Amino acid sequence: MTTDSASQLGAPELRRPSVVGPGDITSLVPAGGNPTRIVRRQTARKALRSGALWGLVFGLYVALQASTYASQYKTPASRLALARSLSSSSGLNALVGPAHDLQTVGGFTTWKCLGILTVLGAVWALMLSTKLMRGEEDAGRWELFLAGQTTPRRAVAQALSGLGAGVVVLFGLTALVTVAIGRTHPVHLSSSSAVFFALAVTSGAAMFMAGGALCSQLAASRRQATAYAGTALGLFFALRMVADSTAGLNWLLWATPLGWVEQLQPFTNPRPAVLILIFGLSATMAGLTVTLAGARDLGGSTLPDRSSAKARTSLLTGNVGLTARLIRPTMLGWWAAVAAFGFLLGMVAKQAARSLEASSSAQKILLRLGGRGAEVKAYLGISFLIIAVFVVLISAGQITAGRREEATGRLEHFLVRPVSRVRWMAGRLGVAAAAVALGGALAGTFAWLGAASQHTSVSFSSLLGAGLNTVPAAVCLLGIGALAWGLAPRVASYAVYGVLAWAFLIELLAGIAISNHWLLDTSIFHQFTAAPVQAPNWSSGGAMIATGVVAAALGTVAFAHRDLAGE
Amino acid sequence: MTKAAIRTEGLTKRYGSAAVLNDLNLEVPVGEVLGYLGPNGAGKTTTIRLLLGLIHPSAGSSTIFGLDSQRQAVEAHRRLAYVPGEANLWPSLTGAETLHLLGQVQGQVDVPYRDELIERFDLDPNKKVRAYSKGNRQKLILIAGLMSRPDLLLLDEPTSGLDPLMEQAFRHSVFEAKERGQTVFLSSHILSEVEALCDRVGILRNGVLVDMGTLAEMRHLSSLSIEATFDGSVPDLARVPGVSAVTVDGRVVRCQVLGAVEPLLKVLANSGVHELLSREPSLEELFLAHYGSGDHGSEAVPTRDD
Repeated sequence: MTTDSASQLGAPELRRPSVVGPGDITSLVPAGGNPTRIVRRQTARKALRSGALWGLVFGLYVALQASTYASQYKTPASRLALARSLSSSSGLNALVGPAHDLQTVGGFTTWKCLGILTVLGAVWALMLSTKLMRGEEDAGRWELFLAGQTTPRRAVAQALSGLGAGVVVLFGLTALVTVAIGRTHPVHLSSSSAVFFALAVTSGAAMFMAGGALCSQLAASRRQATAYAGTALGLFFALRMVADSTAGLNWLLWATPLGWVEQLQPFTNPRPAVLILIFGLSATMAGLTVTLAGARDLGGSTLPDRSSAKARTSLLTGNVGLTARLIRPTMLGWWAAVAAFGFLLGMVAKQAARSLEASSSAQKILLRLGGRGAEVKAYLGISFLIIAVFVVLISAGQITAGRREEATGRLEHFLVRPVSRVRWMAGRLGVAAAAVALGGALAGTFAWLGAASQHTSVSFSSLLGAGLNTVPAAVCLLGIGALAWGLAPRVASYAVYGVLAWAFLIELLAGIAISNHWLLDTSIFHQFTAAPVQAPNWSSGGAMIATGVVAAALGTVAFAHRDLAGE
Repeated sequence: MTKAAIRTEGLTKRYGSAAVLNDLNLEVPVGEVLGYLGPNGAGKTTTIRLLLGLIHPSAGSSTIFGLDSQRQAVEAHRRLAYVPGEANLWPSLTGAETLHLLGQVQGQVDVPYRDELIERFDLDPNKKVRAYSKGNRQKLILIAGLMSRPDLLLLDEPTSGLDPLMEQAFRHSVFEAKERGQTVFLSSHILSEVEALCDRVGILRNGVLVDMGTLAEMRHLSSLSIEATFDGSVPDLARVPGVSAVTVDGRVVRCQVLGAVEPLLKVLANSGVHELLSREPSLEELFLAHYGSGDHGSEAVPTRDD
């Protein structure tokens, strides 16, 4: 008899599994794939999907700019006039980079696309990189991989190659669309130069993909890693703006990776040798990432991280205070960005306006916007559209951050205490709305300070109004995001960025391919008036805010009546 | 009629066609410590989340001190504390900041008791949450639940990740709560913990409450384990009323007796018993008796770690 004493005394017998010794592996079959490459597969799958989506956006944007220019400026005279009006503007140079050969399709496309898409690609890359590396580690999934047939260094190297695949797809699709549009009449761009252009446009993404991975090793959390990489991007962007604003400071371009991208000068004066710097930096950061991954503990950081701290409880009185405390580091970054951007716009407005004044084509636009003598305001009005994008992105980020509280289960700590769902959601959205409003106010205030520093005569109230004019679209998006969160929590983030992407698309196509006002009205930017050259349309703004509030209220009701939803 | 701390009537939760919890009728009197047992997927966490109003029932209702769990959740939550089995907290806050925040949200904290708990659970409150081990995070969430001295403690696998010393500290805290008249609803996999702490035990299987009562009641309804050693030949016990699972090992016989033991004792007395051992079933044996068939009731339903 072999049963143990417990079962002998009457406990129900436990079924013993048949003993499988080390040599008895006949029941084991291969699970498929190579277990040592699972990290690469996992990372590449997500990176490829994201890279493909953004590759299409990049390609579409390039195609639109090139084809619009080629079809609207058909004669050498019209192109020359445009080139003269735009190339002397230090303000515009500072914003999107210097203009070269604007009388050519390639020159104009480079000027319109390179600066903007480089920054967009860098933001995409650093967010994706920190998400798929540090985010996975924070979530505990990295631990499962490392318990398998790999080491931290190998796993990070695999993740890097997976992320690299995402950048390659981004480049591939951008190149494909650029080559395709280059072959059409009247664009006419050579295929080799189109490919080099695509390489230039996506090289910022490659550097910041590696930068995000490196920050994932330096920091103690995904949030911290994103903050490090984002701060670096902000500093490099500011440096590039300074370098491009005055001819004497052009040498500063070599001090910033964004300047290196600019130095590639695709279409106009290609300098492939600069790629050595770009690839060199990317490879160095990737190498450093792999080295550091093996030198630190899982879940730890390379840079010293304060694991203890004195309690600071002044804000920790409830949901509103906690939200303010949690979003403070991110919001300080955003507010600093919009304030700096506003200041710079104000500073260069007078000079930029002079160059617009000299252009007959620009004069037509000015006349339409605000008449003669309003050049500075017109320039600022156009520029505040870019600030509106910044401010609206705050809303999208806040919806994502709020939803994360629910997905991770942290929200439950409030809801199992005497806090109603409506109160929690109202507090969360209220803080987000305040953050958005402060962003708009800061942009206006600092734009005025920048303008005042150059003795530009624009009133404080008109620029504050222009800053606040960006808020209704952001509040509207916040409401739409809350509605999506209430109804379909697991897709809320996709929905809010989808609405944003849709608005971009509509604005890009407005006047070119779309004239239907119903369709145009679906863009949250379409009601935006170019303040300060035009007076803010407060009734339209009020309607957008009301739409946002109603959507948020409906979303809150839906949130209160559904089950909480995890990831 | 005295209001029960917890009362459920026909409480049911379905995801699609799969019922995670089915027609639960439960009453927990004020001051009782109730153990709530069941394997993974049996519906334990679902029950607690329904009681907290975090999810909505497909049918039935539940009340906490007479307050509707769904419609009067805020009022009900003033009187309870919930300790989840998995402590997802804000990584950038320290332990002290977390306790301060959760105390503020709860609205009441017994500060000397909180400090005593910090000492009892040997927690360094100055550390950031992200620097805590799993066990320390669990201690933090336990202290956060206990420090407000609520009328009702809803504990869902509260000691997962705790070492045996801290397990003792936890038991001490539950005894204290019981002495103060607090009600405790303890969902646990640690049967010795439930056996030591609980007045009554409910066993859940496939979303259905299959057994409920005090341990004594449950034991009364269960088999007694008997081991008898004989001087001479071994009698045939298989035909004795109430006796089952007879095994013979030389002169030693082991069997189970359900119901009256008198018929067995008569047979044994006439058969020259040299030694007689009897033992009541442990909670583990009672639990396994419900699940010993191998059907562990796991359900493929979209719910959290029940």
